[in-house]
Amino acid sequence: MDFRSLLLNEFVFLDGGMGTMLHLKPGELPERLNLTEPERVAAVHKAYAEAGSQIVYANTFGANPLKLAGTGVDPAESIKAAVQLAKDAVGEGVCVALDIGPTGQLLPPAGQMTFEAAYDSFRVMCEAGAEAGADLIVIETMSDLLETKAAVLAAKEATDLPVIVTMTFTENGRTFTGCPVSAAAMTLEGLGASAIGINCSLGPKEILPMIQEMARWTTLPLIAKANAGLPDPVTGEYYLTPEEFADLMPAFAESGVQFFGGCCGTTPDFIRAIRQKLNLLHRGRRCFPRQAAVCSGTRTVLLDMPRIIGERINPTGKKRMKQALLDGDFDYLRGEAISQTEAGADILDVNVGTPGINEAEVLPQAVQAILEVTDLPLQLDSSDPAALEAALRIYPGKPIVNSVNGKAESLKTVLPLVRHYGAAIVGLTLDENGIPTSAAERFGIGERILKEAQQLGIPKEDVFLDCLTLTASTGENGPSETLRAVRRVREELGLQTVLGVSNISFGLPNRPLINRNFLCMALTNGLTLPIMNPMAEGMTDTVRAYRMLAGFDVNCENFIAAYQDAGAPSAAAPQKSNENLTLEGAVIHGLRQDAARLTLEALQTHAPLAVVNDMLIPALDAVGADYESGKVFLPQLIQAATAAQSAFGVIKQHMTSQGGDNADKGKIIVATVQGDVHDIGKNIVRLLLENYGYDVIDLGKDVPPQKIVDAAIANQVKLVGLSALMTTTVGAMEETIKLLHQQYPECKTVVGGAVLTGDYAETIGADCYAKDAKATVDYAKTVYEPQ
Amino acid sequence: MRPDDLDRSEILMFLNTPSLDENLSAVLDTCIERLCAAAQPRTIYRVLPVVHTETGVTLGGLPLQGADIALHLTGCKEAVLLAATLSAPVDALIRRASVTDMTQAIMYDAVAGAAVERVCNDLEAEIREKYPYPYYTARFSAGYGDFPITQQGELVRLLDATRKIGLTVTPAQTLLPMKSVTAVIGMSHEPVKDARRFGCGNSCEECPYNETCPMVGRADSR
Repeated sequence: MDFRSLLLNEFVFLDGGMGTMLHLKPGELPERLNLTEPERVAAVHKAYAEAGSQIVYANTFGANPLKLAGTGVDPAESIKAAVQLAKDAVGEGVCVALDIGPTGQLLPPAGQMTFEAAYDSFRVMCEAGAEAGADLIVIETMSDLLETKAAVLAAKEATDLPVIVTMTFTENGRTFTGCPVSAAAMTLEGLGASAIGINCSLGPKEILPMIQEMARWTTLPLIAKANAGLPDPVTGEYYLTPEEFADLMPAFAESGVQFFGGCCGTTPDFIRAIRQKLNLLHRGRRCFPRQAAVCSGTRTVLLDMPRIIGERINPTGKKRMKQALLDGDFDYLRGEAISQTEAGADILDVNVGTPGINEAEVLPQAVQAILEVTDLPLQLDSSDPAALEAALRIYPGKPIVNSVNGKAESLKTVLPLVRHYGAAIVGLTLDENGIPTSAAERFGIGERILKEAQQLGIPKEDVFLDCLTLTASTGENGPSETLRAVRRVREELGLQTVLGVSNISFGLPNRPLINRNFLCMALTNGLTLPIMNPMAEGMTDTVRAYRMLAGFDVNCENFIAAYQDAGAPSAAAPQKSNENLTLEGAVIHGLRQDAARLTLEALQTHAPLAVVNDMLIPALDAVGADYESGKVFLPQLIQAATAAQSAFGVIKQHMTSQGGDNADKGKIIVATVQGDVHDIGKNIVRLLLENYGYDVIDLGKDVPPQKIVDAAIANQVKLVGLSALMTTTVGAMEETIKLLHQQYPECKTVVGGAVLTGDYAETIGADCYAKDAKATVDYAKTVYEPQ
Repeated sequence: MRPDDLDRSEILMFLNTPSLDENLSAVLDTCIERLCAAAQPRTIYRVLPVVHTETGVTLGGLPLQGADIALHLTGCKEAVLLAATLSAPVDALIRRASVTDMTQAIMYDAVAGAAVERVCNDLEAEIREKYPYPYYTARFSAGYGDFPITQQGELVRLLDATRKIGLTVTPAQTLLPMKSVTAVIGMSHEPVKDARRFGCGNSCEECPYNETCPMVGRADSR
């Protein structure tokens, strides 16, 4: 039976629980049974086929190389046996699906498994399944959208088989990793799934509203494969009978669901009952129009009103950002992401294009770093197709690609990427002849881009046009032509419109004033996606006011929510301002804002190095001494350190703008060792080391030994700090030290972490065991400033 | 989860401090509030048969390694295996604070520690009401004493906790989301005299970590 012809049916019937039917003994591995007791598995398939299942799932749910590692079961062998035995059991009339479940590990930002590792493991499964003659690939019980994406891409790229995908949601309408139904639907449709839906999770009653929600976000056929109710907490048994379960199915049919089956606790009797119940019924019509929307793995942004695209993550004209990118200091990017999120951005543009940077390598890293701290959808901004593809692959959700333009070469290279990865695209209205002056010509190019995109199968709603802001100083008609083009695109094509707002004022005085006014004019003319600085005074305010005045803000709710608390104290520590406060005092008492302000004042009369050595360090020493003698404790120490950090921020900025000496005492590498994901201790150490003027290269967590050694050699550091919190990862620490000794013996090592002791540190060859961050600083001093 | 549910003195213990000044106390209040709003506590447990063998003890058919866990379950015919997590949003909260303000980051970390304890306490109370045993041992986790942390994955699989509550285990046996716990509680009709009464099962005096452990001296260990 061919899957595509099944799609012509009013309803398609899947199977029910496999685990339920296998009656597994403790410790028994279902995937091993394909090889050892094929008849036991075949009997289950047979029972489902007899009950009326038109698609049965082969017993391959956990046959993932990552899950089977160490079990002695070869995934490909198990899969081939499973597909073959299923085909033999059910015969010609029933489709056999390769069943793919999750790896059991989390991808970033929640976890540490790499996208590539997940992809490769799924690819092994897909290749084996296709070779064995599976009719389709089912990806099910997924929770992590990025992992699901890895599986779908593996299936699409390794085989020509249809792919259907179901994810599992909790009672709050999100998966365990926080993925909402809407984000799952739009992402999976974009990636080319043939049908999508919900499995496992909960009982039918709980799933129904979620599947109805899903119907609003996709035009694909829908799948429902619920558990037999909720499990009894004591016995673990599911409580719905086949009849009770089937009684709930007509509501699903009415909501437009086409594929029916069951998950945990369901049996062939359930399938029989569902078939009987749905006999003679019809599928409800689904009449939700496509909506323009984008998403991250945890947040959907519906483009039903003007939305702010934050422009700050872009090195153009920003010395600090450039330096941060060259240094691989993603914390700077993370900081910008957090500030823009808090300032009211809806989407963040990410551009890392600067000389000396390999964008194809850095853009995906930047995207991953940013998604650790914000759930806003991202706009991937690059002119390098390789960089775009690298970032598109590992992006969880539906991003915007910025950009394609009317040039043949651009259309040819960028649009297929957008199609393959299911992104939205910004089209710049320029072509081989440059940027046309007239609105009509720009509109023409925009129309052409839309047509090309649609021909490739990119939906109209996913094409956004940027009619290009030219600086007002180049001609008095420039702004009005841009606005005219925006208006036409919005009114005649109905597309989202994008503009880089602040370009308008380039080279003119009082830029903020021009930017605000142009923003307001553009919004009035139909701009829906301003690319702007959400922290610039009045810009976000203008968008909020516009939304309210233009009728997008029901009862002015959002506007009021944004401003009613204006002036209320912030969540950070209450700051006590004091006229007589010194910089030392501000640091000792942990007053961040005062510390920054007083540093700025001190820099008027003192050299940066003097501020560091004569004011900041003595203050930190005083707090450090109090900490050691038990007068103050960790929170106070950290608070003082963060105040000092804000002072150092001011000094760094000062020195970047002035050029001149570097106040850094030397470079130190810190890292949490491979396998370890607990990094709070390492972060505290970094903070204190920075306080004492060291240039800390933070390699992050879960860092492979060789990477640490390479970075140590490349930066010629004298000291590497390593942190491990698990007995299972101390081995990686030992390995790192061993490699350092071999390849860079002059480098010292300092180690710390909950499972370490002085004796143990010595055993693994570390030069120093530091019981806390303060001790690390003390040791660094002996290395860098020997008396 | 509500802010009042949390034991402030326990949070201070995790912060390694006896008290906080007014400023820091206000920061802690905000952190408690935000963490409680972000946390989505999920739990799962199974009551499983305990079988003592010549080489040790099995729980629901799974051999548990080490002498300590066998002693901990001395005389028990059944035990609870439980898992609890505060879920992914709490990890995200800590990640964000680690970038913007380490003071808040360590506070979130400490609050989360107290919160997950609270979730376990509540679950344990619920279990005690449901089952007719008069005696329950303390919670004993992989990594305590000589009960190896490398069994974490097997415990999670035994509970099907990845599917049921979204709890995963990394190759290095770390639970993710990070603020999560698995534990074994023995159930008995007699007092379990060999049970490890407190946490890790080590004696503080002999413990190699007694210099850095925040729990030192706060509990009787054997």
